[in-house]
Amino acid sequence: MFFRMIKGALFRQKSKMIMIAVTIALGSSLATAMLNIMLDVGDKVNQELKAYGANITVVPKENSVLDSLYDLDDGSETAAAHLKEEDLGKIKTIFWGFNILDFTPFVNTAVTLSDGSTAKLTGTWFNHHLALNTGEELDAGIHSLRSWWEIKNGQWLDEQKESIPANGALIGSALAERLGVNTGDTIEVKTAKGSQSLQIAGIYDAGGDEDEQLFTLLPVAQELAVAKGLIDSIEVSALTTPDNELARKAATKGPAALSPADYETWYCTAYVSSICYQIQEAIPDSVASAVRQVAESEGTILDKTQLLMILITILSLFGSALGISNLVTASVMERSNEIGLLKAIGARDYRISGIVLTEIMITAVVGGVAGYFMGYGFAQIIGHTVFASSIEMKPMVIPLVAVLIVIVTLAGSIPAIRMLLRLRPAEVLHGR
Amino acid sequence: MKKQTMFLRMITASLLRRRSRMLVALLAIAVGATILSGLVTIYYDVPRQMGEQFRSYGANMIFTSSNGGTLSEEALNQAKEQIKENQLVGFAPYRYENITVNERPMMAAATDFDGAAKTSPYWRIDGSWPSQPGEALVGKETAQTLALNTGDKVTLTFDLDKKPATADEAANAERNQNNREFSVVGILDTGGNEEKYIFISTEDMEGLTGKSDSFDMAELSVSASQNELKSYADSISKKTDGVSARLVKRVTQSENTVLSKLQALVLLVTVIVLLLTMICVATTMMAVVTERRKEVGLRKALGASNRSIIVEFMGEGLLLGGIGGLLGSLCGFIFAQAVSMNVFNSSIQFHWLLIPVTVLVSVLVTGLSCLLPVRSATDVDPALVLKGE
Repeated sequence: MFFRMIKGALFRQKSKMIMIAVTIALGSSLATAMLNIMLDVGDKVNQELKAYGANITVVPKENSVLDSLYDLDDGSETAAAHLKEEDLGKIKTIFWGFNILDFTPFVNTAVTLSDGSTAKLTGTWFNHHLALNTGEELDAGIHSLRSWWEIKNGQWLDEQKESIPANGALIGSALAERLGVNTGDTIEVKTAKGSQSLQIAGIYDAGGDEDEQLFTLLPVAQELAVAKGLIDSIEVSALTTPDNELARKAATKGPAALSPADYETWYCTAYVSSICYQIQEAIPDSVASAVRQVAESEGTILDKTQLLMILITILSLFGSALGISNLVTASVMERSNEIGLLKAIGARDYRISGIVLTEIMITAVVGGVAGYFMGYGFAQIIGHTVFASSIEMKPMVIPLVAVLIVIVTLAGSIPAIRMLLRLRPAEVLHGR
Repeated sequence: MKKQTMFLRMITASLLRRRSRMLVALLAIAVGATILSGLVTIYYDVPRQMGEQFRSYGANMIFTSSNGGTLSEEALNQAKEQIKENQLVGFAPYRYENITVNERPMMAAATDFDGAAKTSPYWRIDGSWPSQPGEALVGKETAQTLALNTGDKVTLTFDLDKKPATADEAANAERNQNNREFSVVGILDTGGNEEKYIFISTEDMEGLTGKSDSFDMAELSVSASQNELKSYADSISKKTDGVSARLVKRVTQSENTVLSKLQALVLLVTVIVLLLTMICVATTMMAVVTERRKEVGLRKALGASNRSIIVEFMGEGLLLGGIGGLLGSLCGFIFAQAVSMNVFNSSIQFHWLLIPVTVLVSVLVTGLSCLLPVRSATDVDPALVLKGE
């Protein structure tokens, strides 16, 4: 009898039940979409913030402060320390290797140009193909670390393209203007170690000091400046977790000052300081330090964005919860006649509540499931339009949304049912 | 006159007598309106507020000399004044000089520390910012090289002839030099080139070098969009003699990229949330009105015209929509303000235009969602409606 009544209600009052299901579906899709976006927005914005370039620099341990000042003066090297090119791949093998998005080595030297003036020449990777010992293969280079560069003329260098000459170089817009050179021209550069003609592949506008520089392929600069296989510094772009108390403590007092449990937590969290520490472990005789301008600001922006999204999510959860419970209340109240009739023919209160609740719960489950998939669609639409990548659907959202829908539906129907049960059947049927 | 009073009485009576149902409807509308006004306020204010957060990346505009010489304070101030005061977050002029510490060449930078703290909020200082004359901030690398700690003294030497000393001269101390002792109050950690410098105040630098009013560059942190910054830079370079303003592309370009993404995110979220909430409001209103099909039938049986029934229901709906919309715009503002205080620690700019817009939208949504069920009820024969089919 119970099931027949429910079946009857579900099928005979089809349009009413469909409306409830639709509203619940909308509410649950809103909750699903917002929760998923909220949980993923940190990662997505973190990726976007990589536009600011490297957040970690690695230099040799004994690097003297003075070389940049000396270099420009006479072009000769003081006995500065160097890192080894062969160690570069090890960056990807650290605990948080997966979080290392890109890295590139640098060799800097001052060169004398044909007109007698000096300029800074930097050798680096542009799109270097790297095969690691672990069998992993990856492309690394400066391209994503200088996202703000605008190539005004010509093209980016690319080691993997056949058409790029071995002595190709990019020249800063200010320097190009001063020398009056253009794409395709060759210029002679000289250092104490020899000379080389560079073919200009492109002119870039960096909007800073780098506009006065030349960038070329790593082997060319190594020959002119140091020796094969040696590099001056490495820039690393890593996905990091914003610093908290623990990370600050580790950064100021050193990891040794942490208790073993804290150390474990710190080491296994992607703080910029722990990634620096792991890079130092992986690359012999190196000092890795956070670029404060990028690392610190990243934390601020990430925290703010996440907090903003959390609050917006709370508002929309609140909105969808009220929307659902409102409709449920309205639709239960609408059935005062039916409930009055049931009471009049002698149904017990709990039977009546049971019937109404089961009906609404069945509708809610159908609506909720449909809503989850709708929400999935909304989240992906937002992910693809804004970040051009899909939003990861976290499994933990499913129970959250389910619990939300159940609580909200119950909260919407129980007070209404109780109110109707309190009424006297004669009055209700009379239509008051 | 009589007709209107009757109309009003019918509306208010139906609202008051059916209190619980009307409360449900009103709540639904108010929630919808809250979300509308709250999210739209946030959407409009996010670029400004987030833009301020992005200022933690530091200077986004620099002034340099356009003729290769130095900049005078007057020219700098003249250039600075062209930027709206409420957009200028920080301004710090810099002057660099080669100095020596125990015959070791070093670079000293003079700046206004209050300004530098604003243009470079990411500087981490172990110790404190210099506040007195004779105090210096030393970059981490230099501090390591010179084995300096906070509280130590360091003597900076400026060679007025700008020549390295020959061994003879050094031995006989026959050099045209200025010496000054500074106490180190802070060690600067930035992870960048700043770690190589020794920072002192502009006045101390004047005392050390005997030359005043000459700056090499100035850093500015301006809270404005990339296009606005470009037009500032152009007009400053044109209008002010000797000053060339340039954008720090790394900061402006990246900020543009990230900020536009964030704004698009909030926009899309707002649109989707609004769309879904409005449908929710509409379904609730429809449920509330559908319940009254019998009333419609009864009235029709008593001889009311379709038009008068629709007008009455619409009047009710519009009244509810108006009240709900007003309530919602208030709650929405409170919500937006709470978000702004929590996230950005600053109060939000409220757009007064949003109140009429919110009320209008709520009235429209309620009106539409009342119209559909009432029309379907009036279209049917009253006998059928009253019978409940």
